[in-house]
Amino acid sequence: MKKIITLLIMLVLLLSSTVTVFAADGKVTYSGNAGNFVFEPGSEHSLTDLFPNFKGVMPGDTLTQKITVKNNADNKVKVKIYIRSLGAHEDSVEFLSQLGLKVQKSEENEMAYMFDAAVNETAQLTDWVCLGTLYSGGEVNLDVTLSVPVELDNEYQNKIGLLDWEFMVEELPIEESDPNPPQTGDNSNITLCLTLMLCCVATIIIILLWRRNDKEQEKINAKH
Amino acid sequence: MGKIKIKIVVVALMAALITLMSQATLAYYQAVGKATNVVTSGNIQFIIHETTDQGKEFPKEGVYIVPGDIVSKKVSIESDCEHPFYLRVKMVYGVDSQELPSKDCFKLNIDEENWLLHDGWYYYTGIVNPGETTPNVFSHVEIVGSKVDNSYIGKTLTLTVKAQAVQSENNPINDGNTYTASGWPKEIAE
Repeated sequence: MKKIITLLIMLVLLLSSTVTVFAADGKVTYSGNAGNFVFEPGSEHSLTDLFPNFKGVMPGDTLTQKITVKNNADNKVKVKIYIRSLGAHEDSVEFLSQLGLKVQKSEENEMAYMFDAAVNETAQLTDWVCLGTLYSGGEVNLDVTLSVPVELDNEYQNKIGLLDWEFMVEELPIEESDPNPPQTGDNSNITLCLTLMLCCVATIIIILLWRRNDKEQEKINAKH
Repeated sequence: MGKIKIKIVVVALMAALITLMSQATLAYYQAVGKATNVVTSGNIQFIIHETTDQGKEFPKEGVYIVPGDIVSKKVSIESDCEHPFYLRVKMVYGVDSQELPSKDCFKLNIDEENWLLHDGWYYYTGIVNPGETTPNVFSHVEIVGSKVDNSYIGKTLTLTVKAQAVQSENNPINDGNTYTASGWPKEIAE
């Protein structure tokens, strides 16, 4: 029995590692409460690298990279997620200026590209661009396409180009008018606040009663 | 004393209430995170192997020869990169004397089944995939006795193998002829 369990655990571990090896999507996850973003999968060059498919590119290549932006915040808020480009690192500009990049939301293929320029530029992503409003568990997918010109010169062999993107979230309260507000039954914070408020009100009432008693006592003392 | 106590309690309660209200106002956060994305370019690399019949590396210092000798020298090329490529090789002959010709002193048994001569280069007819090694370009070098006469005594004859590669990805060829691929380096006059 123990052997079977051990084998099952090993199988699960193997399957898990297999998924990791073949996962080629970039992933941006917001964990909520102004917590950090988590960027995956990262690479040997950058822990926050979202471009696993853009490695060892060759002249004439046209490669695509799917990036999933997900809201993992709790269900009391919805978030607006924005993206902008900070451009290429200084020592990457020459290489990345040779390559073209296009970015669009997967769900809106007919939509014009939100970015269509040389990789080193900030272009249409110079200012924040809203990717959408996401409820807890919601996600938006980006299709990123890299084009390497076939005439790219030999001098660009073995180059490494770094490109910074920033993501921003704004947490907003869930409103009654929101479509399909998520229900999880987690109301612990509301309960805490109500309890505190009731305690405060009770304390105020006690103090007021206490003061009235003191005044009445003073009046009685004054009469005597 | 009692009034002071009451005032303190009231102020404390008001502060608590204000704090609670402030928390309600600040509950909606903003956060920013930065991703540094990386694009890397590939390359084409290969290793030229020169071995003897015994499988040993051909001596870098060369070998002593006499006219008519047949020297064992197997030349093949191994891929040392992650991308497939087309390949061509060229043999350059030399002798340390400007008065003496060198080209006709050597006779090579070129594998013409796999290597096609075009404009002075032998083009490998296939694609060299990652991890693969080509068949030998040639395996023996004959020192042509009728050409290497007494005037070559004490001279050094050289046979240099030059190789060039170009990516085969995104690089179509015509009629299966690898010399029609784009991107072969231009010849530089030596």
